[in-house]
Amino acid sequence: MTSTPATLSFQPSTIPRFVRRIAEFIVGGIFIYAGVIKALDPIRFASDIDNYKILPWAISVRLAFYLPWLEILCGLALIARRLYLGGLSILTALASIFIIATIAAKIRGLDITCGCFGHASKNWSFSAHIALDLSLLAALIALCICERLPRNSS
Amino acid sequence: MKSSLVRQTLILVALASLPGIGQALYFRDKVSWQSPVPASEMVTVAQARAWGGNAIWVDARPDVEFEREHIPGAVLLNEDRWNELLPRFLATWSPEKRVVVYCSSQSCNASREVARRLRDEAQLKNVFVLQGGWEEWLKKK
Repeated sequence: MTSTPATLSFQPSTIPRFVRRIAEFIVGGIFIYAGVIKALDPIRFASDIDNYKILPWAISVRLAFYLPWLEILCGLALIARRLYLGGLSILTALASIFIIATIAAKIRGLDITCGCFGHASKNWSFSAHIALDLSLLAALIALCICERLPRNSS
Repeated sequence: MKSSLVRQTLILVALASLPGIGQALYFRDKVSWQSPVPASEMVTVAQARAWGGNAIWVDARPDVEFEREHIPGAVLLNEDRWNELLPRFLATWSPEKRVVVYCSSQSCNASREVARRLRDEAQLKNVFVLQGGWEEWLKKK
């Protein structure tokens, strides 16, 4: 009646993979949601980008039509695990740029609304923005590290 | 791995441009491409003051800031309580009056949003954004 260790014994390798898939769904889902909200109202998003006073309006408004779709596609890439590396690297870059821009705006004393989640995030405090962004960035970096590990350790 | 990373990144960057371009074409007549607010929709403190009683001042800042201090005669209308405040504003509005919306400073965008919603949702004409907002008003007081 003894079972083989391979079938019943604890396999640590299954846990990280499972956790990783959950993380991919959560992070990908957040970016898809954020992208859809912004794609539904690109003019407002253009206004939010312009509020950071980093880019001229002509560029802000063009980015407002482009970035939401990039977020949506990269989020889908994470969930579907297609074009995965590209999606992961783009989202990591976007999250990093956004954190730097938000901190810079705060230091410059700008009265900003981040616009990350459209109306839903309009009244979020600076610390709430940063906490969410840093959590997303940490998750993305963790996924990058997992992806670089040899397969047998994942 | 490096080449596939670059290839995948380029594919995603290119793919995202397709719906982006499509949406931009759809919105091409609804967006001001060169400035956030067309010059015709901006007004200076001096111009707005010259309108005298023909101007309705709309304060788009949060309630707390409005209660602290505001332009004399200004009506509070911010996005936080839009549905509640809009009817109150409309009660003071009349078609011949010009609406001047302001927020805290040049860098805030609440006035632009409120002005946009007044045009799009309330279908009002003659809605202007005050250049420099409340800060500029204080300087010119």
